[in-house]
Amino acid sequence: MATRRRMAAPLAAAAIVAGLSSLAAQPPQAQDAPSTKGVVRKHHVPISSDLVKISLPRPAEADLSNGLHLIVLEDRRLPQISFQLFIPGAGGYYDPDDKPGLAGITAALIREGTASRTSSEISQQLEVMAASLAIGAGAASTEAAITGSCLTDQATKLIDLAADVLLHPAFPDAELARYTQRTRATVAQQRTNPSFLAAEMFSRAVYGRHPAAHVGPTVDALDRVTRDDLVAFHRAHYLPDHAVLAIAGDVSMAQARFVVEQKLSPWKKQGAAPGAVSDPAPIAGAKILFVARPGSVQTNLIVGTQAIAHDSPDYDVLQVMNKIIGGGPTGRLFIHLREEKGYTYGASSALNAPLYRGEWQAATSVRTDVTEPALRDLLGEIATLRDEPVSDEDLADAKRSMTA
Amino acid sequence: MWSVLARRLGVAAAVALALAVSAAAATQPTIKFTDTTLKNGLRVVISEDHIAPVLSVVVLYNVGSRDERAGRTGFAHLFEHMMFKGSEKVGAGEHFYSVFSNGGTMNGTTNKERTLYYEEVPSNQLDMALFLEADRMRSLAINKENLDNQRQAVQEERRLRLDNQPYGRTYEAVDELAFENPAYKHSVIGSMTDLDAASVDDVASFFKTYYAPNNATIAIVGDVNSALALERIHQYFDTIAAQPAPPAVDAVEPAQTAERRQTLEDPLARLPRLDIGYHIPSSLSTDDDAIDLLTDVLASGRSSRLYEVLVRQKQLALGVSAFAESSRGPRLLRIIVSVPPAKTVADVEAGLYAELERLKAGPIADWEIEKSRNGVRRQFVGALGSSLSRASLLGELTLLYGNPGKINTLYDRVGKLNGADVLRVAKQYLAPENRVVVMTTPKPATASKGDR
Repeated sequence: MATRRRMAAPLAAAAIVAGLSSLAAQPPQAQDAPSTKGVVRKHHVPISSDLVKISLPRPAEADLSNGLHLIVLEDRRLPQISFQLFIPGAGGYYDPDDKPGLAGITAALIREGTASRTSSEISQQLEVMAASLAIGAGAASTEAAITGSCLTDQATKLIDLAADVLLHPAFPDAELARYTQRTRATVAQQRTNPSFLAAEMFSRAVYGRHPAAHVGPTVDALDRVTRDDLVAFHRAHYLPDHAVLAIAGDVSMAQARFVVEQKLSPWKKQGAAPGAVSDPAPIAGAKILFVARPGSVQTNLIVGTQAIAHDSPDYDVLQVMNKIIGGGPTGRLFIHLREEKGYTYGASSALNAPLYRGEWQAATSVRTDVTEPALRDLLGEIATLRDEPVSDEDLADAKRSMTA
Repeated sequence: MWSVLARRLGVAAAVALALAVSAAAATQPTIKFTDTTLKNGLRVVISEDHIAPVLSVVVLYNVGSRDERAGRTGFAHLFEHMMFKGSEKVGAGEHFYSVFSNGGTMNGTTNKERTLYYEEVPSNQLDMALFLEADRMRSLAINKENLDNQRQAVQEERRLRLDNQPYGRTYEAVDELAFENPAYKHSVIGSMTDLDAASVDDVASFFKTYYAPNNATIAIVGDVNSALALERIHQYFDTIAAQPAPPAVDAVEPAQTAERRQTLEDPLARLPRLDIGYHIPSSLSTDDDAIDLLTDVLASGRSSRLYEVLVRQKQLALGVSAFAESSRGPRLLRIIVSVPPAKTVADVEAGLYAELERLKAGPIADWEIEKSRNGVRRQFVGALGSSLSRASLLGELTLLYGNPGKINTLYDRVGKLNGADVLRVAKQYLAPENRVVVMTTPKPATASKGDR
């Protein structure tokens, strides 16, 4: 499907540009499309210049003997609780090379049956108590997460169920077979989605062979994953040593700690080191990649490059920069490509700053016949941001929209 | 009605702030509000909620795609876009710029029944939100440049949401096949041809007729003082003149007497899909709550009838959903089944009907009703916790039923329903002659020129 071609290809549904240095130098050019000024400010709107003060409550924190870090934010106003359990080391970042998607498959199957409950029983119990319980491990993320919520009077029941699922998953063969069959079809369906195709190619272009390029299981991996793989991944990666459990709502630290220590008592510390991460290899140079999707009436464009890790000193300034160029409907991309040119329904950008060097990307979907001018304008906005100082007013507005 | 509203508003996940109530105790949380109608007909509902320093302003105009005439489909939604292009004292785009750069969010949505606009802002920005809404209600800037520009944005929206998506056309085809009444037959987004035909004069007369204060409801929820907020409403809206009432919509749909079927080929789809719609009465009908419970029993979650049997046991479906959108006119209980590669659409359809017949033969288990009730209550409580979804709920109830007080009757109504009620509506509406069936099959892409 994916093929490298020259520009001006009307059938291309997704163009991905990685590496900004040389391409961003082209100036924007005038277009024929109907154009209106993106934002005109008449300054009559009564706006309060005060910032509303809010004081956030402090959570209680505790380190349990198995390594689990417990955080409780007591909030008695509402008779309900919600929780999130993060398990570092259990995300798709740590998939074995020959089984992409294994972490995601393991997470998906954890709640499909335990030593004492079938998959159907788990679903039914949750649904009757109107509680939610979800387990996920992102294709490129470093951790798995278990999230749940319910009314207070169901909380003990829900935590009991969540602990059973976490500690005693049975990974029944029949459930694995059902899952792989269903997911094989979902993977096929995914390949009809233009945004998925563009994102997949973009990730590959930006991250190369680094695990951040993972987008999900392949059909081949689905066919080869066995119950033993799931059992082994669960045993090796679902460890309490560096895990964090945050609970908010109608519960105190003492109550939460009592229930958690009781329900999770078999979850023992393993003395494991925290999962290692590394930066991706730098991008060799700017390039344009195409994914052909015959029949498309829109082109998905993603333009971006490697950026920073979460602890970079540039983190705040890049967030503000991203706000100015593509942070929602006040961003320059939205105003220029949608409001002024009418090329698209939306255009925005995002900074992804994980534990390793992540990426910045700008994305939009435009009708195919304006692919070239839209891409040129998008690159033009990047060039403007690089070459021209941001006005004091734009900078103040961007900062205010983030703090207000 | 209730659960559907909450779902449509996307509030099911708004758990963190929810003002919850024990499902077991099942005591209805009472929502206090004021309900005032200004001299120009604008109806104002205000409800205080001081849980966080935010407030939401929701403005609903009683106009949707049901009000569009033939040849002008998509007009209500196109118009929604025009509402952000400026007015006498607000520049083009200044609306969203002001809201977003001061910590707020805003948007507009259009459906068959109404057009809704909202601002969710820090609690010290009530004046900003009301000024923005009042100025465009009074003096929208209507000109050809704005129209052409937004026509293009809407056409891109159509391409993005429908034309470039697998099953995009299917979505429209179901209503077109099911309804004879032109008000309900066409999609909200409308046709490209009609969008091209819309003129500046159309826009101007549409604005005068439908965007009048007497055709609007405004709901404010959040960290406000009701009396003070009402004072501000008077200040900003009192001088906007009322207009003659818009023409009434004919919502009558002739009864269907035989099944209708259609097959569609979709070049963007990889898998076949089965879409079935059963005619059901309007949301104003007394069967509304029981129909909501029926959709839950059918397809809410993995313990639902259709998921358990079609997806899990028989693997006749990859996924299944059932829902009934709110409407004052004719509407459908819709069931969507995606067909796995190894199965034929005919087998899947037969399997689905077998399950529906089994349901109609009864009984509905107590746990199925308990599950649905708990689910409805939890979604409702979730909706109360967010100022935006509470304001939308109050606004929609006022617009659809003329009665915001309906917000305080949910537990009572749903608590009274039982399995027999669900069985009765299932038997009444899930009948073969009452359904439309649209089968979407993948169409191989035509050979492309020199591609790949």
